[in-house]
Amino acid sequence: MTGPERGDRTGRNATSLAAAIAELGIHCSLEVRGGLALLLPVPASVEKLQDPETRRAILALAREHGFTHVGIELPSDRRGAEARDADAPLLRD
Amino acid sequence: MNSLRRIMDIHAVEPSDSVLDRLRERLAAWLCAHAPVAVGYSGGVDSAYLAVAARSTLGPDGVLAIIGRSPSYPAVQWETAREVARRFDVRVLELDTEEVDDPRYAANPSNRCYFCKSELWGKLVPVARAHGFANVIDGTNADDLTDWRPGAQAAHEHGVASPLAQLGFTKLHIREASRLLGLPTWQQPSSPCLSSRLPYGVAVTRERLRQVERAESALRALGIAGDLRVRYHEEVARVELGAAELPRWLDPVRFTALRDAVVGTGFERVALDLRGFRSGSLNVLHGVST
Repeated sequence: MTGPERGDRTGRNATSLAAAIAELGIHCSLEVRGGLALLLPVPASVEKLQDPETRRAILALAREHGFTHVGIELPSDRRGAEARDADAPLLRD
Repeated sequence: MNSLRRIMDIHAVEPSDSVLDRLRERLAAWLCAHAPVAVGYSGGVDSAYLAVAARSTLGPDGVLAIIGRSPSYPAVQWETAREVARRFDVRVLELDTEEVDDPRYAANPSNRCYFCKSELWGKLVPVARAHGFANVIDGTNADDLTDWRPGAQAAHEHGVASPLAQLGFTKLHIREASRLLGLPTWQQPSSPCLSSRLPYGVAVTRERLRQVERAESALRALGIAGDLRVRYHEEVARVELGAAELPRWLDPVRFTALRDAVVGTGFERVALDLRGFRSGSLNVLHGVST
């Protein structure tokens, strides 16, 4: 599910955040839960998160987009397939 | 000592011997001036140090450690508390607290800790006095004064003193002083109550507390050491790991093991927090602190 621009009164913008993270080479769907951004990366992207610079960059981007926390959810096979098949970013709110 | 150095690398600079010596002398003087004392005792880093320091300073009859057993603490906490007391010859009394049955607490407002500590001190202080201990103290430290701690108001209302905070003991001072006393708790991670894993406004129930306890226990069984929190977001468990642990659990194989361990405890989904452990994480999420 791709969504409309998700800016809100808190200044959070999920669409823009997912796009910015994709520019780091991390392709993922993104679910918003208040100040928590839940990222569901495609399996090939998970290993890239072991790089501390990549983690720092994602956290900085999340802060810039109004989020206080970032959670990484490991996709099950089914969810991973969904994410690969869709045009990232996939937004679930 | 290497472990302490790692803790210090993360948190602060090492306390100098002279500062620590001075703090310990001031604590001994404070305890002598207020003896005998009853300690609100959880077996955590702070109250364990305070109880053993009081035992060392005042002798076996000068201190009574009182455990307020709460459903919001994991069972393993009480085992640690009893073991430390036994090893250091500290007299212990145990009583049960029922804050989870108080609807003001169970509603999980941002001042939830006030109702918990009101229940604790409301039971503990009269029991201490009935045993001849007019002065009741707790392990609040100087670092705690900088965080959102509504429970401190309840302690104040019941006349509970916090000598470690009053004298300027930080967590780091307490860890080092504990190490010098031979306390096994010196490198134990901080252990706030399980209710702190539930976002404000999400009702605190015994089942949710046990769910979080099971999840954290399952992760410990995987070999995860140091700081660890499982934050409750309904069907999602958000796992916060210490800085030293986080990178290796982002390995896809280990990540899968972690997820499977937590899913087996009742959560449907598992997320690793990308920043890792931070004290008061849900306070930040809800804008109570930064």
